[in-house]
Amino acid sequence: MADLLLAARGICVRFGGLIAVDAVDLDVNEGELVGIIGPNGAGKTTFFHTLSGVVRPSAGRLLVRGRDLTGRAPHLFPRAGIARTFQTPRVFREMSAEANVRFGLEFAGRGRRRAHDAFADARGILAFLGLADVAAVPAGALTPVRQRLLEIGMALAARPELLLLDEVAAGLTEREVEATATLIRRLRDELGLAVVWIEHAVRALLGTVERVAVLHQGRKIADGAPEAVARDPAVVEVYLGADATRP
Amino acid sequence: MSGRGAVALAGGAAALAAAPWVLSDFLLSLTLSCLMYAALAVSWALFSGATHYLSLATAAFFGLGAYVTAWGVAVLPWPVVVIGGGVVASAFAALVGGAVLHLRGAYFAVLTFGLGELVRHAITYFEKSMFRTVGRVLTVTPTTTTVYLTVLALAVAAVATAIVVRRNRFGLALAGIGADEERAQTLGVATRAVKVGGFALSAFFAGAMGAAVTVRWTYIDPPAVFNPFIGFQTVLIAMTGGASTLVGPLASAVVFSLLTEFLRLRFPYAYLLLLGVLLIALVLYLPRGIASLFDRPARATTPETPVRG
Repeated sequence: MADLLLAARGICVRFGGLIAVDAVDLDVNEGELVGIIGPNGAGKTTFFHTLSGVVRPSAGRLLVRGRDLTGRAPHLFPRAGIARTFQTPRVFREMSAEANVRFGLEFAGRGRRRAHDAFADARGILAFLGLADVAAVPAGALTPVRQRLLEIGMALAARPELLLLDEVAAGLTEREVEATATLIRRLRDELGLAVVWIEHAVRALLGTVERVAVLHQGRKIADGAPEAVARDPAVVEVYLGADATRP
Repeated sequence: MSGRGAVALAGGAAALAAAPWVLSDFLLSLTLSCLMYAALAVSWALFSGATHYLSLATAAFFGLGAYVTAWGVAVLPWPVVVIGGGVVASAFAALVGGAVLHLRGAYFAVLTFGLGELVRHAITYFEKSMFRTVGRVLTVTPTTTTVYLTVLALAVAAVATAIVVRRNRFGLALAGIGADEERAQTLGVATRAVKVGGFALSAFFAGAMGAAVTVRWTYIDPPAVFNPFIGFQTVLIAMTGGASTLVGPLASAVVFSLLTEFLRLRFPYAYLLLLGVLLIALVLYLPRGIASLFDRPARATTPETPVRG
């Protein structure tokens, strides 16, 4: 039985009168692949922001390996083993791809035990992602697809145990989505990471993850194996007519 | 340029150290002015150039340092006075930085400008109520040579600090904050501590410089030492030269000090007009400073097509 890595309990986020995230619980075990889906405005990204410390939850608790990180500064999260990407890639455009990865190593990864040799240095991480040949290219000059890969590389440089991926497949072609799904499986299988993946491309996500949580209007309405969740009447209703109901 | 930079700096410092025995009084004073703005611009760029937090607080730090001299020069050893000026400015920067460094852009700029006014009025009030005076005559002052060498030492220290910071972890954190603060934070940078530290470090040189050059004026009062012109000139010099580079602000400090000396005294209004026009032209056409003209065209040789957005 794998150990519990992340425990989010009763997470709420209120913006003024609006409740963006409403008492959401989520457990993630070591090395687990978890997906989060939900229609636009379901609160997925806001929930992600709380898991990475960017948004402080209005209520609820966040435990990482039993350590309470609720309301702590965002820079403590990568140091505790939680790294993330952003919906639109946020690379340091002027720095080379290699310098971008080194940045994560310098401030978060260096102080952490490395679980795999691919994390040893920036070159290893770039090689893992297939970016070795563009190591010297300024990040801003990379194609959007590669910027997205590089952003995963920056997060990997924090030597995380849990990687939070926010719509890394948005706007990609079907083939690129497949490649991303393959990469995410490799992150777990080869590097031993737990991954929480938010995605709109529901079909690719359901085919990759072991567990999926569904958010709707800020609430979690389902959480379980992809096949079971896809048949859940509440989920079917939310996604009525979408392919997701017939994976 | 680690070795080369250090050698160039040491060589330049050695040559400039001979100036008091070689140059005329006028040229020495001109050199001192160049060195002062070099130190101010380089230390300003150390923080504001890297992080893009545009600080207009230089005059506040400078004036604080000047008042440390006004209060201490007669009773304390000279090095203590100069370092004390830096330390007081640093401490003040750390104090206010903790409170205002979450503001960005124009808000931060306006607030730091307001700081200068705040400190100026606070000191005016303090002097009036404690000592029943508005200005002070400095009777005990070090020799011109001592002042010059002090300013030179501060300029060398500012450049050396900038060289070290640009290369180390702290400088990388500052650059990351300038590029994308939230991203830097989610990659483990303690942004708040880094910003306050950078702001305080930058303030040290402005404060120490204020402490060192004030003695040349013999009579000082708050309007003279909290002169916003010093702050604006510093920002202009750093931005003209290219605030994200090291050589840019240095070269630009020399050019502007000479310009100031020759134009400002003879055509004061024309000079200020020229500065204004220059600033507008720079922001419009050369936002990354003159140094960006000399950037190697690295981007042209990249294998990928640049994509925006």
